[in-house]
Amino acid sequence: MTALQLRGIKKSFGKTVVLRGVDLDIDGGEVLCITGPSGSGKSTLLRCTNLLITPDAGEIYLDSVRVNQRSVRPEWVRQKIGMVFQSFNLFTHLSARKNVMLALRHSRKVSRAEAEKKAIYELNRVGLGDRMDSFPAQLSGGQQQRVAIARALAMDPEVMLFDEPTSALDAESTHEVLAVMTRLAREGMTMAVVTHEIGFARAVAHQIAFFDNGLIVEQGTPADIFEHPQLERTRAFIQKILR
Amino acid sequence: MTGSPTPSPPLGTDPLGIRSTPSPEPSRRTWIRVARRIFTWHAWSPVVYGAIAVVVGYYALYELGVLGVYRLSYALLILPGILNGFYVSLELVAVYIPLGFGVGFLVGWARTSQSLILRGLGSAYVDFFRSMPPLALIFFASLLGAVALKDTSLDPYTQHNITLWLGVIALGLHTGGYQAEIVRAGILSVPAGQTEAADALGISRIRSMFVVTLPQAFRISLPPLANEFSSVIKDSSYLYIIGWFELAGAGYSYASESFRYHYAEAAIVTWFEVALFFFVLTYIVTRTLRGIEDAFRVPGLEAATL
Repeated sequence: MTALQLRGIKKSFGKTVVLRGVDLDIDGGEVLCITGPSGSGKSTLLRCTNLLITPDAGEIYLDSVRVNQRSVRPEWVRQKIGMVFQSFNLFTHLSARKNVMLALRHSRKVSRAEAEKKAIYELNRVGLGDRMDSFPAQLSGGQQQRVAIARALAMDPEVMLFDEPTSALDAESTHEVLAVMTRLAREGMTMAVVTHEIGFARAVAHQIAFFDNGLIVEQGTPADIFEHPQLERTRAFIQKILR
Repeated sequence: MTGSPTPSPPLGTDPLGIRSTPSPEPSRRTWIRVARRIFTWHAWSPVVYGAIAVVVGYYALYELGVLGVYRLSYALLILPGILNGFYVSLELVAVYIPLGFGVGFLVGWARTSQSLILRGLGSAYVDFFRSMPPLALIFFASLLGAVALKDTSLDPYTQHNITLWLGVIALGLHTGGYQAEIVRAGILSVPAGQTEAADALGISRIRSMFVVTLPQAFRISLPPLANEFSSVIKDSSYLYIIGWFELAGAGYSYASESFRYHYAEAAIVTWFEVALFFFVLTYIVTRTLRGIEDAFRVPGLEAATL
């Protein structure tokens, strides 16, 4: 079953055309990795998906419901789509536990006790049960990103979007975040991941989309894309990031 | 003297200058640490600092030959009147600073709004109230009030009271203009990623303002707010001109009396006492804000403050 469908997404910022009509399908429980050169529009596409950016044209369907239309509140869509950022964006004035609780309390209007229970559960799930009362400034990058994942998971999203979740991390932290994401994928979470982590993409992704100049130029299984890329452009990029 | 020997390096210094041992760092740190201890806030701190100021100040004046110790009796004589002025000042400050903060908060927020109208109104407010001299504002407010109330059925006593408080409100609006800019800077200094993260979690804009942006902006705004508060406390003496018998007003009347009936130098005692109470008033407010700052300090981010 298709969890997320994008049809003809277009977006320009001023005169710069960033997305030129992107079509994309993600099935329930599927992991899609999006890769491609910087500035090709990968992040913009993710941000369009949860309506952080309003696309100029195109349709977005979440479980066959069109979400980018006037009658649908963006808040409702965002509660169903979790997002993890490159720069973590944890709320700096709140402890890890409160970071996770915040959205439950103020977006889903869950009671304090219930939100706390959920926060403890999710933080344990990402292996941070012992750092619940730490503040973001007291946590390493990898720990912060895991809190961010727990924060998104606490909303019980149907789809998780990851926007270069490990690009700001050192090798060890990258490993710990990817381990959490891998387990999440194995548990059947539907995920769209913008990443250059080829190892992760190869091992976990069901689909790889190669993005260039505002379009998906090549899409297929990891084996297709990494072993037998069809386009010269894809081949050149894969060569570069494998090295 | 040719070929004078190179002076031997001071003890504990690496002759090659690669590393100096022991590092001067710890001792300097200790010095700072000790200084910090000394100036740590206690309930009795204003009393101690005040007493030190009185003794040192009085002794200095005595040594300069300006005053004799017998002038102390004059200082004590006028103390009740000065204290009365102090209470009035306290009352005024307790009204116009919170008023200014309320106005400043709303205007500062409006200045960061996406609505062009709100931004425009906010800018107009700030431009006007920051450019007007507080003295003129206070006169304007109370005189316009007096003219407007002249033909009403209110008794003169109430009319007078209203004009007095209009002056206080004018001062509140004046400091509101400055505080608005502090609030605006605080809001703008919260990284865009914070709002984006709240958006992505499905929190509405207005709620994320209150639970994400403002709590962080508030922490950033506290030091400049303390600055503005301590500055505007002294502006309370402007209110003397419309008839508030506050701290500076009490000072004026005693000083002029002392010129008339006593030695002229007694005026110095008066102003010294007034200054002392202004110090206490400002100290109470700024120290309270420092306390708030400490209470809301975010663990892991304390390095920035001393």
